[in-house]
Amino acid sequence: MKTNFITSKPLPAFELWEKTKDKSPLYSFEMEITERCNNDCTHCYINLPAGDNEAKRKELSLKGFKPIVDEAVEMGAMWCLLTGGEPLLREDFFDIYLYLKKKGLLISVFTNATLITEEHIKFFKKYPPRDIEVTVYGVTEKTYEKVTRRTGTFKLFMKGLERVLKNNIKVRFKAMALRSNVHELPEIARFCRERTKDYFRFDPFLHLRYDRNEKRNKEIISERLSPKEIIEIEKNDSERFDSLKKSCDKLIMPSACEKTCNHLFYCGAGQGSFNISSDGIFRLCSSLFHPSCVYDLKRGSLKDAWYNFVPKVREFRSDSKEFLERCHICPLINLCIWCPAHAHLETGEMDRYVEYFCSVAQSREKMLTEKL
Amino acid sequence: MEQKINIKNTYCQSEDVVAREIHGEFIIIPITSGIGDLEDELYTLNETGKNIWDRLDGKKSLKEIAMELSKEFDAPLEEIEKDVAGLTEELLVRRIVLEV
Repeated sequence: MKTNFITSKPLPAFELWEKTKDKSPLYSFEMEITERCNNDCTHCYINLPAGDNEAKRKELSLKGFKPIVDEAVEMGAMWCLLTGGEPLLREDFFDIYLYLKKKGLLISVFTNATLITEEHIKFFKKYPPRDIEVTVYGVTEKTYEKVTRRTGTFKLFMKGLERVLKNNIKVRFKAMALRSNVHELPEIARFCRERTKDYFRFDPFLHLRYDRNEKRNKEIISERLSPKEIIEIEKNDSERFDSLKKSCDKLIMPSACEKTCNHLFYCGAGQGSFNISSDGIFRLCSSLFHPSCVYDLKRGSLKDAWYNFVPKVREFRSDSKEFLERCHICPLINLCIWCPAHAHLETGEMDRYVEYFCSVAQSREKMLTEKL
Repeated sequence: MEQKINIKNTYCQSEDVVAREIHGEFIIIPITSGIGDLEDELYTLNETGKNIWDRLDGKKSLKEIAMELSKEFDAPLEEIEKDVAGLTEELLVRRIVLEV
């Protein structure tokens, strides 16, 4: 009888996940390799101009990222997401990507696809990413460029995407549901679903900027859809609605009301993954910018951040009556964009209630329970 | 595709894969395209497989590797040779090892 020494398995079937599920291991991390972007999207929480020299100067070089990546790999990380800003703006994108690949990481790339050249395609064909996620802002020039505020970007997007698709590089799509493109959302969904075997998702939840830029925050707020509009688009997208309906019992949790402690973090921040900013700042998740929750990896190690700093942050508590009596025990928390990170971006405090988030969550609950 | 293995030949690990041990699991991760037969899959080696893999250094022949393992684990050489050849054949088909 032939002995089996080697087994090939799709990732979800790996015993590793089962083996480590109770040990809070590190599975993945996100690297925001630049905050700069060639687009100037109204809704974006991070983008700085492509030519922002100050932002560029602060970016870690590959040499700066290397010790962080080495530690993450040593600690068992399997995935890395390269994101931005627009990651392809980095002149050393290929070097960074290849370094991660050669460390044995599976790589995803988030991009707007406008900068994808034949050179990228040749490279991705030789060193395949696990996937490339392309954001689709519109499927007509008028809508697309209303969001990106850059003339000529629609043609570049279509050209870049065509290159990816023609060469069978694994792609999936994301769209932000915005005031500027909501009229085109069904066409965007159709466009995406026709072009990927993988999933398409849209996100109507816009959080504010990490730099608290007031002018830009006003633009984000102006792009937000009303609760009524959000449930309308969710109801009209059968795939999304069915999946929400299926997991309704997990999304609405009456047991949340029974919480007796006053911990702030119940989300997945710092659980299995973390985020590094372009200047080497460790965050527990991509949205958590509160000064007491970030760790400068230029002055410390990833192990210290992960094993010592993260547990301290996750121990944070709140005595705010508003928090304890509302969001903390709210059964709708999984239908809500509220979390300490988003509350901080919205209000400057991690334990403040946000009326817009609450209205959206309540409308979503109504939509789900009425239809059931 | 069947690949003929000669126990007297020497094989080395491909530079197009990375082997990692994560929480006790020994995993082989392709870097370039064309490794293996299925997209989006990784390979795990069991303990015996790992012992053989560690010795595929492009210097020792499979015969020498089998002799080393037979001595180390006090197991019959003939059986070990079969194991070494069997695994190497599987790895060769997937381009995870190369003949030197």
